[in-house]
Amino acid sequence: MSASSVTTPFPERAAAALKDPFLQEALAIATTKFIGLRREAFAEFPAGDALRDQARAIKEATLQKLDVYLGQLADSVERLGGHVHWASTGDEARDVILGLCRDRGVRIAVKSKSMATEEIELNEALARAGVTPVETDLGEYIIQLAHEKPSHIIAPAIHKTKAQVAALISDVAGHRLAADPEVLTAAARVQLRQKFLQADMGISGANFAVAETGTIVLVTNEGNGRMVTSLPRIHVALMGIEKVIPSMTDLMVFLAILAKSATGQKLSSYTTLVRGPRQPGELEGPEELHLILMDNGRSAQIAGTLREALYCLRCGACLNVCPVYRQIGGHAYGHTYPGPIGILLTAMQKGTESVKELAHASSLCGACRDVCPVRIDIPRMLIELREHLRRDRIAPASERAVFRVFRRLLMSPTAFAFAAPAARMLQRPFVKNGRVSRLPSFFSKWTETRDLPPVAARTFRERWKELQ
Amino acid sequence: MATRAQFLDRIRREVGKTPGLFRARTALRPAHPEVAVEAVRRQMAERWPEAVERFKDEFERVAGVFHHAKRLAEVPGMIAEVARAKGATRLLTWNPAVLGFDLRSTLGAEGLSVAVAPVGDAAEAARRRHREDAAHAQLGVTGADLVLAETGTLILLSGDGRPRSTSLLPDTHIAVFDRSRLVESLEQLGIWLEALHVDPARAMSGAVINLITGPSRTADIELTLTRGVHGPKDVHAIFVEGP
Repeated sequence: MSASSVTTPFPERAAAALKDPFLQEALAIATTKFIGLRREAFAEFPAGDALRDQARAIKEATLQKLDVYLGQLADSVERLGGHVHWASTGDEARDVILGLCRDRGVRIAVKSKSMATEEIELNEALARAGVTPVETDLGEYIIQLAHEKPSHIIAPAIHKTKAQVAALISDVAGHRLAADPEVLTAAARVQLRQKFLQADMGISGANFAVAETGTIVLVTNEGNGRMVTSLPRIHVALMGIEKVIPSMTDLMVFLAILAKSATGQKLSSYTTLVRGPRQPGELEGPEELHLILMDNGRSAQIAGTLREALYCLRCGACLNVCPVYRQIGGHAYGHTYPGPIGILLTAMQKGTESVKELAHASSLCGACRDVCPVRIDIPRMLIELREHLRRDRIAPASERAVFRVFRRLLMSPTAFAFAAPAARMLQRPFVKNGRVSRLPSFFSKWTETRDLPPVAARTFRERWKELQ
Repeated sequence: MATRAQFLDRIRREVGKTPGLFRARTALRPAHPEVAVEAVRRQMAERWPEAVERFKDEFERVAGVFHHAKRLAEVPGMIAEVARAKGATRLLTWNPAVLGFDLRSTLGAEGLSVAVAPVGDAAEAARRRHREDAAHAQLGVTGADLVLAETGTLILLSGDGRPRSTSLLPDTHIAVFDRSRLVESLEQLGIWLEALHVDPARAMSGAVINLITGPSRTADIELTLTRGVHGPKDVHAIFVEGP
């Protein structure tokens, strides 16, 4: 954990991940598999591309009237007997949940996977308040037992071996379990089934919320989303404001592409449409439903540079294709949301300053934009973030000085012409086998992990003169 | 804590600062969903044979088990067969008033214990009794309000006599449906859902609609696909062709 804490500089966190042979293998296998599954799913679905354009347009159109749709959603949920809470910050969202726990005497809260609750570090806050939070997505359950953080949005425990998982679940079960996924899953089922039946509160996120009907939509493969919203007497759903969509017709467009992008399935095993608490005549379902609408930095980006990141469906497709994520995994990013989109979401919630290193953890290759189901232009926004960081003078003084000199050279043809022979002379001690592989002092960062090509023996301008 | 007015004012201000990234519109909805849903029903009255074939293929792709019954009278025997194969002795079913058949007389005789969700009684005592039944049932029998061919999906509405957990808590889930339930595409499902919500007062009795596409599954341990992590390990669909 120490190497993935945000207090450690990013290059060290990344280096630690690169030195972990199991993580390297697990990442390669997982991301390659997800890429293949996604590709196959879209290959046999010719309407996919048009639907992605449509999904993108729906997200944009919704943002253009976000206040209207949020108001409509709240009205619909209240009409069905649910309660709506407005949380401007993560702190406020946490306070709502802690307040409900206190007032209703909640001791155990079962959770289905929710990035929004990770974002506000809800589990830690619940534990401090004397409430036991139980993650029920198997991957999340495993990392909760290990006291770790998710390393992938949809496969949170890909960094754990089955032997490690066996040790963790054996501890809870009270007897030794074989390192066999089948056995371990069955054991987790028994443990978690009890928790579902004991819990007073179920906490979920929301993949979507339909404004017109007040429907909270949860997509899971395991069925824990259904458990969490059915068995405890209180259901709390926490959602970012950008998750609202206008109608059921819009929902169908997103359902058609979400699971294909995430896991290559046509639909996930369970898509659960929750419309209010238990209705008259029903035997099951919560007595109370609370929907928390959370801003936490989102609204400031409606007219900001990160607007497009508000389209995100949290499918994880951009993680799998990212050459940086594929090497370092989720923990090295050091924040709740990893991968290319994670850099933008972190900047949104914690400010530009918080991603001064991460903004550069991208080769800008554009693979993330190509696979995104709503075609979010992540590279464009990363470049804009870098531009902000430059203006805010966040780079070290030495680096800024170097670039100031470089800028002068590029702006003056005379200086540039003079620079080439000067550089050839200066580089002489460092060129070995036609590469510059080690530079002194603060230039050393440039050559630590890669070689630089030397300045050519004759520049283009010099050759041009002869050719004329 | 922000009030609703403050919260929405802030968003309205931000929305007002920008025209957005490009001109965009939401999905085009049916102007008269009740009419559109009737049109779908008419189409499906002719196209159900293709739809049921497509459903079978897709359902089997997601590890579902498909059965074809010529008549409703064959259904109890099929369910008994599945129960025997799974070693299940405790069954829970939706209420016969909803389901269209009663397994107590047929399967009770075979030594299976059949609990039935009550209808018209959602008092505390009934709810507690039902929760016991649900927690111990090994096999759950439900109908399906809609069956989506393109994805192999069973769509179940919760409500009076049709509890949501019958398709969730038991190890095995069996859904029984006839040709009138078939739709072909997510687009048609959208029309149907629009129609269902047209009149919020009338709408639906229960709070939950579940789209079920195969058994409960996970790949969270070393990407090994494993079934039945929380919900059913096995899902069966019985298509009843005739009366």
